[in-house]
Amino acid sequence: MDPSEKAQLLELLESNRVTNATRRVLLERLNQKFERQFFSVSHLELLRTVALRLVPHDPLELDLVGPIDGRLAHGDSKGWRYADLALEPNPYKSLLEALPKDFLQLEGEVQDSILEGVQKEFPRAFEDLLAELVEIYYSHPLVQVRIGYYGFADAQGWTL
Amino acid sequence: MTPRTQTLRFDAVVVGTGAGGAPLLSRLARAGLKVLALEAGPVHPLSEMATDERTQEKLFWKDERISSGQDPIGFGRNNSGIGVGGSTLHYTAYVPRVQPDDLKLRTEFGVGQDWPLEYSDLEPYYDELEHFLGISGPEHYPWGPPRNQSYRHAALPLNAAAKAMQRGCAALGIRTSSAPNAALSAPQEQEGYGVRHACTNRGFCQAGCSVGAKASVDVTFLPLAVKGGAEIRPNSFVTRFLLEGNRITGVEYLRDGLLEQVFTDTLFLCAGAIETPRLLLMQNLANSSGQVGRNFMAHVGTQVWGRFEEETQPFMGIPGSLISEDTHRLEGMVGGYLLQSIGAMPVTYASQYARGTGTWGKKLLEHMSGYTKVAGINVLGEGLPYDGNFLELSPELDARGLPKPIIHYSNGDNEKKMAAHAEKLMRDIWTAAGAHDLWTFPRGAHTLGTARMGQDSRSSVINRDCKSWDLENLYICDNSIFPSSLSVNPALTQMALSLRTADVFLKG
Ligand SMILES: Cc1cc2nc3c(=O)[nH]c(=O)nc-3n(C[C@H](O)[C@H](O)[C@H](O)COP(=O)(O)OP(=O)(O)OC[C@H]3O[C@@H](n4cnc5c(N)ncnc54)[C@H](O)[C@@H]3O)c2cc1C
Ligand code: SF4
Repeated sequence: MDPSEKAQLLELLESNRVTNATRRVLLERLNQKFERQFFSVSHLELLRTVALRLVPHDPLELDLVGPIDGRLAHGDSKGWRYADLALEPNPYKSLLEALPKDFLQLEGEVQDSILEGVQKEFPRAFEDLLAELVEIYYSHPLVQVRIGYYGFADAQGWTL
Repeated sequence: MTPRTQTLRFDAVVVGTGAGGAPLLSRLARAGLKVLALEAGPVHPLSEMATDERTQEKLFWKDERISSGQDPIGFGRNNSGIGVGGSTLHYTAYVPRVQPDDLKLRTEFGVGQDWPLEYSDLEPYYDELEHFLGISGPEHYPWGPPRNQSYRHAALPLNAAAKAMQRGCAALGIRTSSAPNAALSAPQEQEGYGVRHACTNRGFCQAGCSVGAKASVDVTFLPLAVKGGAEIRPNSFVTRFLLEGNRITGVEYLRDGLLEQVFTDTLFLCAGAIETPRLLLMQNLANSSGQVGRNFMAHVGTQVWGRFEEETQPFMGIPGSLISEDTHRLEGMVGGYLLQSIGAMPVTYASQYARGTGTWGKKLLEHMSGYTKVAGINVLGEGLPYDGNFLELSPELDARGLPKPIIHYSNGDNEKKMAAHAEKLMRDIWTAAGAHDLWTFPRGAHTLGTARMGQDSRSSVINRDCKSWDLENLYICDNSIFPSSLSVNPALTQMALSLRTADVFLKG
């Protein structure tokens, strides 16, 4: 990560262009660390690798899997589930267990082609996992400013 | 658990504080009745509305619903709210009136249902609401019957998607208009609340308005109700009704983990089109017709997105700004749809793109790198009632030990034809406006019709005044009562029905 990028973001977040409520949550997210609570060590490692392929990112900069682990530890739902997915404490279990034993050791491109197969075989669970990762990723303020989004700095409103 | 009983007795208890519950609550309170509203969720103060989609998920109903059928409906962020204000906290605030023929679908087409009401029953309430809520809109709205008055405030400025849609539609000969939107283009004094600010174009309506510009009921009807003496009890999740013969005598609810009871002369059930039938089915109440949970409908809600050469900043400006009702009736279809421009918050947009197209990896990131140049349009079209689309209780229990709802939904031929027609038209509009990389997000929007009103007690749950056919003192008023989906957004009509229900009740 470019340190000046983060410094610029912090400057914006500290300014009067961001409301208190918004500043509080974004600063917290920027520095958030997660402890493993739910997944087994091996599932967590697998999931991290899958996450890197589905939404390429720098794992030192942001943890996409931590929030999923936390959500499942609390048993929180997103509000609905496809009827053809059984009720599971870990909704991604079948998907993870369908990956070959040596998945972690494979080249990225090979992993991708395996994941394409998994997407076809488990379309619903794959879609849910992808959407969850994507939502976590694009909620991160650094990622947001990189795609040109600075909508959180709206305390003064916008003139069209 | 033994419930804590309150000896206090209310003239009326209202369950749910959204578009159906809040207006009637204020009316009953103003008439001097002793009224209590029980709301499952918390208060969401404006000062805690962050401009952050993840945080604002607190506005969405997150208890698990099970989505079944050929076209399972996504709930959570797509569908319904929790907290004082209900789904109005995150509605887009498009507030067109219904057109009179929408209320008579069966008469016109021989399918669907007629409403047991006329446009003239709703019109005075539309007039009242447009003034009270402070709706911004065009001087002359091109569709529907002549109006008694113009909108209270001037139309809101168009965002980039709206301007592009205007261009595309003009090229194809489709009329457009600034939309009626329940967000203020000028400040307004709101009785019981104070001054509501004008919209600051923050584009976050679907994640909660932090400035009070949007007429959600927490800044309009609920403060008025409280001023009139109503009590609103948040974090109170209703679980059961108490009965004596064919009267409801009280309500049992969980507040902060404890079971409580209150007693009431009349009950107004306004918990939305999923929780209302769920509560009724748990005790098989008000169901001599067998219609509770049946006729679940959703609007055809297809979205088409495109990428433009120029920046669109889709998070800026009121998302609900341009409308066309030129497609209100279509050759070979039952009913029609309206076209609306939409905004895009980044997380919702990215999530929909991933779900809708299945794209991941580098391709996904590439697409999202163009986020600030995208713009979207969607339709809102008639969804018919079908036997196979219904809500039932699952044997699976939630954390409170209550059965989860299963919602079966499949599009019928009419919805499929309409979605295809709409997709083609929106693609043509976007192409004419200069967009490329078009993609479609198929969607069913809004939850409607699971305790419908009707003319007779064998085929409906309530009468035209929202009163149960079976229970003497039960009224239902929320999106569950819609006999047909209407080809307009439901909230304004819902609020009109709510005011009308209170007035009819008060007249005795
Ligand atoms: C993203 C989005 C955008 C929308 N945009 C528009 C728009 O632009 N225009 C428009 O007209 N409509 C729009 N709508 C739809 C509109 O919000 C609804 O039609 C309307 O709010 C429905 O009113 P209701 O009273 O049926 O339910 P709600 O407003 O959802 O109110 C129901 C209330 O009941 C409470 N409740 C439920 N169960 C219980 C229980 N057991 N105990 C206690 N309380 C309970 C809930 O917490 C909730 O507060 C939109 C909806 C969404 C999701
Ligand atoms: S666009 Fe306007 S009405 Fe919508 S959330 Fe922002 S300030 Fe409120």
